[in-house]
Amino acid sequence: MSQLYDLKLKIEAKIKADGLDGNEVRGKIGLKSGKLLALINPMTPDDPAGIAKLRQAINDVLGLSA
Amino acid sequence: MKFKSIQTKVLAVLLVCLVLGVGCVVALMHYFTVTNAKGLALEAVTSSQKMFEILEAREIGKMTAVSDALLANSQVCDALAARDRNRLTQLTAPLYPKLKSEGITNWMFHTPEPDMTVFLRLHNPAKFGDHLNRFMDKEVVRTHELVAGNELAKAGFAVRILRPVPGAKGGIAGYVELGEELGQFMHALKSQTGNEYGLLLNKKFVDRQFWADSNAVWHRRDNWDDNPDSVVADRTTANDSIIQYRGDLSAVPDQGMVLERYREGKSVFVRGIFPIRDAAGQTVGAMFVVKDITAVYFSMRQTQNVLLALTVVSLSVGIVLLLTMLDRFVFRRLRHIMHVATRLVGGDFETAINVDSDDEVGKLELLFEQFRHIFVDLMKQMIESQKA
Repeated sequence: MSQLYDLKLKIEAKIKADGLDGNEVRGKIGLKSGKLLALINPMTPDDPAGIAKLRQAINDVLGLSA
Repeated sequence: MKFKSIQTKVLAVLLVCLVLGVGCVVALMHYFTVTNAKGLALEAVTSSQKMFEILEAREIGKMTAVSDALLANSQVCDALAARDRNRLTQLTAPLYPKLKSEGITNWMFHTPEPDMTVFLRLHNPAKFGDHLNRFMDKEVVRTHELVAGNELAKAGFAVRILRPVPGAKGGIAGYVELGEELGQFMHALKSQTGNEYGLLLNKKFVDRQFWADSNAVWHRRDNWDDNPDSVVADRTTANDSIIQYRGDLSAVPDQGMVLERYREGKSVFVRGIFPIRDAAGQTVGAMFVVKDITAVYFSMRQTQNVLLALTVVSLSVGIVLLLTMLDRFVFRRLRHIMHVATRLVGGDFETAINVDSDDEVGKLELLFEQFRHIFVDLMKQMIESQKA
């Protein structure tokens, strides 16, 4: 399982736990990180820059240090 | 509210416009107030000067008529020709109180040239035999015609006429002089215009000791030191405080000039001054005009406040309307596009934008909606291919 997918799962878990608007949260994180979360799957290859951007976006939008 | 938002910038610009608008209104009203005050002062000076000239001409006419009647009395002419002071006094003294009550305060007879001394002063019979040596004396000797004009004596300023008294053999028996203090004119001017007046005399034409003696006789305060170059000879106000002029009286232009506006307590005044020339054409004094513009001034201030309030209210309403319109037609729709774009990236492929306007933002909405359709198709294909 890729790290990107792992991060995606964390996002989904947070949305579910807090009852957030999933499309809104995913959209904000996607726009900030430049990643379309819908296209991230377990087979998605990791790239360090993409992972760093996604972590930063998660932190900015959800306040999570992933 | 962040300053980088267009809404904030527009609001800032509108607030600057509001401040500028209010500033312009205040400046404009201040300009009108100053201009109107100057106009009122100029009108006060001009009308007072004209009225002064009318009064002067009228009084000269009156004194000329009195002298005509006097010269028609051969007994008066003969008494002067015979240098019979007692006879002349008997003939004229009964008339003096009547003339004085009509404003003619100075009445003199002079001996003919070459010595031309004062033969009889009806207003001060005990004093005679002195030489006055004034411009009018020389002029009447030169022309042997009636001379009229303002003449400054040692302690006073009067409009006078001086004319020859014919002798029995066709020569000159002497001269008769009638005069009215110019100070009396001010009270007539005040009753006509409502303005306050002050008669200023140039000190270099007034004898200091005579001025002090005169003030002592009339129980007046010696105001010689109040002003450096001029002295207030007479005034219609209770005090000298509003009649102060530090300038050079001889530099006052013929048409007069407006001085400053000033406040004293709750009253607002404008001041002006016009020159008074003597018979020789010298500016020996000036009439100080003080006009009370309190009612007009506060009316203008009230108008200024009303206009200011209306400007603030109208500009504020305009700002609110403009911001509401901008929000309704631009910013709210832009926010909606951003909202849809965010959700689209988040996987919401159903929320669309209803394009119902053909304006600039409507064109952007249409463009975005077209882009959204392409994006959604592409995403669906990619997701399907990943599943496969």
